[in-house]
Amino acid sequence: MIRAYGILNDQIRPGDALLHGIPYPGVYVTDEDGVVVSKFFHDTYKKRDSPELLIDAALGRIELADDAPQAVGSDPEVKITAAVHGGKGSIRQGIRRQLVVRFELSPGLHLYGEPVPEGMVPTTVRASGPPGLVFEEPVLPPTEPLRLDALDLELRVWSGCFDIAVPFYPTGELASEVRPLDRDRAPIEVTVRYQACDDETCLLPRTEKLSLELPLDVIDIPSLAMHRGHGQREASYDGTPHLRRLMLRKIRAHPLGLLRFLGTNVRLELAAWRRRRKSSRETG
Amino acid sequence: MTIERDELGFDAPAPLGHPGRVGLPAGHATGPAVGERLPDFVLPDAFGREIRFHADRDRAKAVVVFFRSAVW
Repeated sequence: MIRAYGILNDQIRPGDALLHGIPYPGVYVTDEDGVVVSKFFHDTYKKRDSPELLIDAALGRIELADDAPQAVGSDPEVKITAAVHGGKGSIRQGIRRQLVVRFELSPGLHLYGEPVPEGMVPTTVRASGPPGLVFEEPVLPPTEPLRLDALDLELRVWSGCFDIAVPFYPTGELASEVRPLDRDRAPIEVTVRYQACDDETCLLPRTEKLSLELPLDVIDIPSLAMHRGHGQREASYDGTPHLRRLMLRKIRAHPLGLLRFLGTNVRLELAAWRRRRKSSRETG
Repeated sequence: MTIERDELGFDAPAPLGHPGRVGLPAGHATGPAVGERLPDFVLPDAFGREIRFHADRDRAKAVVVFFRSAVW
């Protein structure tokens, strides 16, 4: 099945008995006809899409929970809400969630998407957080055309209610999987710039700054010797019997595989030890 | 066990260069494209029952996840 889809991790040699056969991880989301509508593959297996992000892709819209951490802007004509979607603040290295910026425009108003003629202000969203919180490029919804015959111009606009989503994930600096969380919340600053117009006149361009706090919480992981030292809360279920069965099955199928695996590990651990020694000499 | 941070900022309890830490190379194929029908498959579920993907999803939308460890 993995081979049929062409996503076998082909950097792991067939002789690597304990790892060979794993896929490049990823997700396909299909419609009712089984046709792929979205797919998610990343440059590293550490980036994993949150369940909410996948459900949004299947639904084609973002369903925000009432208790999502959020902040609301001050413009009465353009209501702007910034919210973190899913997870109730739980955070883990590499898990991709979305910062959702929801625009609710008064009837008759529109905001501009790119490209805009000189002098007009396109809608932009920028987000920032503490070191180790990585924000990706904003995902913009499709625009509608707006034809201005008098100026012989066609503009791209949004109206009504629409969302701009900014996927984000923590790296090891903020929420490592190998040490406990060292803070219990993360501030997120969102800057939204836009200009609202109706078919005849424009309001002044505005910059809204929204601040929200993401309360951080750990997640449960199975109790497993090889994960000792992870910063997450160990749950009451024990992963050891499963891992033991997996190892035995792999070793039975490739009796020499374990030796090769151990050999590779010794070589890599030595290389890591040399790197550590070099860096401690350089710094100290 | 050695803990090292990779160039993308991710920590793992394995040294850099460990085969378990390699990522998807740029430009590598990632299977069926958006707009294609997902190729059918038959696989056992957690209870050993045979699941025929397209027949058994009964015209519902689906999320198909390929993962490499369930510890997350």
